[in-house]
Amino acid sequence: MSIIEVKNLSFTYGIGTPFEKKAVDDVSLCVNEGEVIGLIGHTGSGKSTFVQMLNGLIKPTSGQVLLEGKDIWEKSKEIRKICFKVGMVFQYPEYQLFDETVYKDISFGPRNKGLSEEEIDLTVRKAAKFVGLSDRLLNKSPFDLSGGEKRRAAIAGVIAMDPDVLVLDEPTAGLDPKGREVLLAQIMGYHKERKNTIFFVSHSMEDISRIADRVMVMNKGRLEMLDTPKNIFAQVEKIESMGLRVPQITKIMMTLRERGYDITDGVLTVEQAFSEIINLLEKEGKI
Amino acid sequence: MSFISVEDVKFSYDEDKNYVLNGLNLKIEKGEFVALLGHNGCGKSTAAKLLNAMFLPDEGTVVVDNMITSDEKLTYEIRRNVGLVLQNPDNQLVASVIEEDVAFGPENLGVPPEEIRERVDKALRTVGMYEYRKHAPHKLSGGQKQRVAIAGILAMHPECVVFDEPTAMLDPSGRDEVMNTILRLKENGITVVLITHYMDEAVMADRVVVMDNGNILTVGTPREVFSQVHLLKKHSLDVPQATELIYKLSGAGLKFDEMPLNTEECVNFLEGVLK
Repeated sequence: MSIIEVKNLSFTYGIGTPFEKKAVDDVSLCVNEGEVIGLIGHTGSGKSTFVQMLNGLIKPTSGQVLLEGKDIWEKSKEIRKICFKVGMVFQYPEYQLFDETVYKDISFGPRNKGLSEEEIDLTVRKAAKFVGLSDRLLNKSPFDLSGGEKRRAAIAGVIAMDPDVLVLDEPTAGLDPKGREVLLAQIMGYHKERKNTIFFVSHSMEDISRIADRVMVMNKGRLEMLDTPKNIFAQVEKIESMGLRVPQITKIMMTLRERGYDITDGVLTVEQAFSEIINLLEKEGKI
Repeated sequence: MSFISVEDVKFSYDEDKNYVLNGLNLKIEKGEFVALLGHNGCGKSTAAKLLNAMFLPDEGTVVVDNMITSDEKLTYEIRRNVGLVLQNPDNQLVASVIEEDVAFGPENLGVPPEEIRERVDKALRTVGMYEYRKHAPHKLSGGQKQRVAIAGILAMHPECVVFDEPTAMLDPSGRDEVMNTILRLKENGITVVLITHYMDEAVMADRVVVMDNGNILTVGTPREVFSQVHLLKKHSLDVPQATELIYKLSGAGLKFDEMPLNTEECVNFLEGVLK
């Protein structure tokens, strides 16, 4: 069953002013429960506007967002409740930490959800564990944490609300390779256990190709492509014409394929490329 | 004498002498393009801020173009000479019109108005933003904003520009725009120090310096450095995917003379064994 259904969704900024701009243009798709959707597109392609309509932060100019079959704007006075179901982690979420301690910061969401102290304590600790923050750090001021720890604390604050749908806007930007690796593994670990639905916005095609079940490609406000990473990144020219890139490894293997070598379409990881090459050599009896 | 010379520098943010930089030695020649790599917290951003006297060493010396950064009388001259471009473009633009933003630096240096005009136009042309000179910065894409920030520094006629993760917040085409601009600066004889987490950017440098724990782990040409895949991985750093594939294949017994740095080289190396 689809958890989110987006129907002909559009949003125009500054209607009736000289700055009128259609940011999202007639986007429709169905997302199944438990799916990981990667969302790519160049700056200004409408990704952020789109995801902000998923949890009611922006009201669509036209079209609908159905969450479990119900239009989220049906009772517009209760739109804020949607934030608990569709959790949003913004870009550079560490700038939004505000409370005295990490513990208090993470508990802000569950407290506003109206949970009891006991439940709050449980969810805070669970969320902290998911993102790999030790108990020792919970009583520290969030401003004493390292960059990577701050990022994880901010994500824990959203996870603590236990949303069915989690939207992550560039969660790995600015982290070093190891920090990226660890955070991705934690998000995927959480996903495996919670079986929630994830929207993952990123400029890192390597990250997207590793975790997404399906990829949305946005261009000039429209949903240009929606397919598996393999099928998306196989279309190098189309992707590049939209100001995006395919992972380097994909490009290497595509080039070999074009030069006549027997290589599968849409190789996405170094591991895959490695076995492709080894298989090819074995088949030809070269090793 | 090298253009920039960092000698036995120790630096700590607190009184307890938890050194972020612990006896760092680094020489950078005029016109050189040096990439600085290392995981978060290894001290590379701190090192960058020592190069233009934003921070002063606790011990040791930093000399830029024969000027020692600890001499307060030279501080402004050093900062004019060594420009700094940071990660977030939105934090670096101050004016509401692009050409005014670029003029901010030279105005504060007391450059005569006619010359400011000249410098601003030239700087904007160098970064390819001249057509946008009358626009408002907030309407630009991230890559364009970064290029305007670079123009603002060029207008002060620096000899060196230090970039601290200038592409971390940009989309792929924005990253290309900024990297092309950086290569153009190098062609114009400007010394470039680039701090980055992207290995495909580091391979464009003349020299790669890898930092760890406040000191240099290894240094060399991109090919020399990225050939040490094992060492880099051990210190939680990455290598380009092209290099990693060839590294894995040589681990499986295939013979390669050297490590590739980019897509083209990797394809050629693979063709070499597949043919």
